[in-house]
Amino acid sequence: MVVERISELLDDGEHETSNTSMRIPTALRDAATLAVKELGIASSATALTTTALRATLEAVVMQAALDDHYERHPQARPDLGDLAIAAAELDGHPLAGQPGRLRQAAVEIATNHPDASPDDVLLWAEARALPAA
Amino acid sequence: MTHLVVLDNEAVQALRDPGHPKHRHVVSQAQVVASRKRRAVAIQVVVPTAVRVEAGWDRTSPAWVFPNRLRIADSPLDTASANTAAGIRDRIGVSVADSHIGAVIQSASDGQITVVTSDPGDMRRVAGDKNIIVAAI
Repeated sequence: MVVERISELLDDGEHETSNTSMRIPTALRDAATLAVKELGIASSATALTTTALRATLEAVVMQAALDDHYERHPQARPDLGDLAIAAAELDGHPLAGQPGRLRQAAVEIATNHPDASPDDVLLWAEARALPAA
Repeated sequence: MTHLVVLDNEAVQALRDPGHPKHRHVVSQAQVVASRKRRAVAIQVVVPTAVRVEAGWDRTSPAWVFPNRLRIADSPLDTASANTAAGIRDRIGVSVADSHIGAVIQSASDGQITVVTSDPGDMRRVAGDKNIIVAAI
């Protein structure tokens, strides 16, 4: 229920705003101000903070939905090989068309690094594809 | 710039139905998106509303609760999109839903665009001059 309420609130848009008083590290505030002013990464430090907060909350909601789905449908839970293939496909990575190679790389890397990410698998598969010096 | 991930009809169908042969494949892609959002990567999954119509995705229906919870945004068929989509349909003769996908692609800003689709050929055609990544399912 909490997750659904968070999701509803995220859907409500950003027309209504509120002043808020948050204590954040001074150095972080100054870094954000500098990044906005000198690098133009957002229209304001407030916009930067809002975007980052929204992205984090969206990730939390998505992961909660996925975790709930995996609990109900264990066969839908992707393994590391599935995730490496999906990451390659979304990025148009050259190895996206070689799922067998990615699955093999996932098995190899998971042996020594059980917390490996899909990007780690892609990197390992790329390295394995290089000709030996 | 935001990485835009656009779903076609079959991707939507596969996501909804745990018994669909491509369900785990599309769920894997959703999982990668969720993980990237968690790492503050700018990435957004969208569904053109005409695709939603074709797929029968009614956001008020309990049958669609799982896709509804995945923060997949509607890309509406507004006046400008309808004009672009009509032009695509007239030139290429693809479905209304695929024409709307083309309009979404062509109106997107210059970030990375990935289309999750069972029909890579049509997606490349509706994209026109726009450079896209096709994730074939």
